[in-house]
Amino acid sequence: MVEGDMRVRVELPTGLRQYAGGKSSFEVRAASLADAIREINAQHAGLAYRLLDDQGRMRRFVLVFVNEEPVAHLPPEDVRLRGGDTVHILPSVAGG
Amino acid sequence: MGGAKKGDTVVTVGTRKGLFVFHSRDRKRWQKRGPYFEGVEIRHAILDPMEGKTLYAGVTSEHWGMMVSRSTNLGDRWDLGKEGPRFTKESGLTVTRIWQLQEGVDGSLYAGTEPAGLFRSEDHGVTWSSVDSLNYWKGRDKWPAGGGGLCLHTILPYPKDAKRMLVGISAAGIFATNDDGESWRMYDAGIREYGKQKFFDREDAMTCVHKMARDPADPAIVYQQNHAGVFRRNRGDARWSLMEKGLPVAKSTGGPFGFPMVAHPHDRGTAYAVPLVGDYNRVTPKGSMAVFRTTNGGKRWDRHSKGLPQKDAWFTVLRDGLRTDDGDPAGVYVGTTTGQLYASRNDGESWQLIADHLNGIQSVEAGTFGGQ
Repeated sequence: MVEGDMRVRVELPTGLRQYAGGKSSFEVRAASLADAIREINAQHAGLAYRLLDDQGRMRRFVLVFVNEEPVAHLPPEDVRLRGGDTVHILPSVAGG
Repeated sequence: MGGAKKGDTVVTVGTRKGLFVFHSRDRKRWQKRGPYFEGVEIRHAILDPMEGKTLYAGVTSEHWGMMVSRSTNLGDRWDLGKEGPRFTKESGLTVTRIWQLQEGVDGSLYAGTEPAGLFRSEDHGVTWSSVDSLNYWKGRDKWPAGGGGLCLHTILPYPKDAKRMLVGISAAGIFATNDDGESWRMYDAGIREYGKQKFFDREDAMTCVHKMARDPADPAIVYQQNHAGVFRRNRGDARWSLMEKGLPVAKSTGGPFGFPMVAHPHDRGTAYAVPLVGDYNRVTPKGSMAVFRTTNGGKRWDRHSKGLPQKDAWFTVLRDGLRTDDGDPAGVYVGTTTGQLYASRNDGESWQLIADHLNGIQSVEAGTFGGQ
């Protein structure tokens, strides 16, 4: 349940923008990271699949920061958000 | 469309860094398209074998998930897809790679994944359903992973009966259904025990199948490159039998070691393999590349190397790095982990270099634009 002024900003990295109509950021109403992902997926179907694995966890090489706090290791529904927060989604430094 | 005309040969080349598409009218002069999916691994891509116009690419993005993307204009534009194949939440599994795409006899699209899974799409890869009877097989927790991971890498529908299919899982073995995936049986009897001249009697031995191909004239005959040798089996046979005469033998495994196995598109008993030194050194023997061919169902293999590098060629040809097209004589294509693509337009007698300096080639597929 999202109550009050729970508007948060979600920033997308370059690699994800092709799945979001070229947008680099969203403003959504969300009380948790799971809410935020649901909201951006409602606007661009398929974005949630890009971020979450088959178990609903953040994918292995996706980093998420709420403001400056790393939260990708936590279940998205356990990451509480407050109005004015910024969620930064980044690819981890991985690959070859 | 994309400069290709009906009847052109189309070769899709999946690499560690993107997809390339080659097409040619005469199989002598080739036009290259791509790379598509920059920086992303394409383990496998196919041209729809029925209508010959739609490309499907298994896209493995380490960051953003595994998708099957589709292009109806030879790569000019890709439908990136919304969701890829998924395991259930209860399974605890997550798809990490798409190893194989294969069109079924009924026109559905199949995907083989890592961890080993078989998924089916009836809407051209937009949505997927799990083949639960295999994906949640009772003994799944005992399936061992091969060097490339626990992957379902071979999907062989039976052309004469849509309910029959054979799949290969490294290193869980060979599974077959004859009731449209309602149930599966294992078929590993006759495969060599690692490093010995003894052979498994059990069908559920869980051997490391590398690749299988059906004979074009009689698809009930299947040829197999296994970790521990090269085999054939006809429907009704009690076990796999050896077909290794003429192939170099690896010191470690007790039989010829390699990854790919493909069949000629028309000629009964004709198949191709690319043996490597062994599982301890997965490169071309003596730095000299060759494609081996049998024309008599594996009674004898012959080495073909004209036009292939014979010196300082220390690379690997992976399980999907060898394919034939629909032509007569057949075109044969081989891609290396060092990024060379070679082609033969005379059944594998001689070869020419089509492309060099691609990234490591994961797969090669060939088809006819506009269908056969």
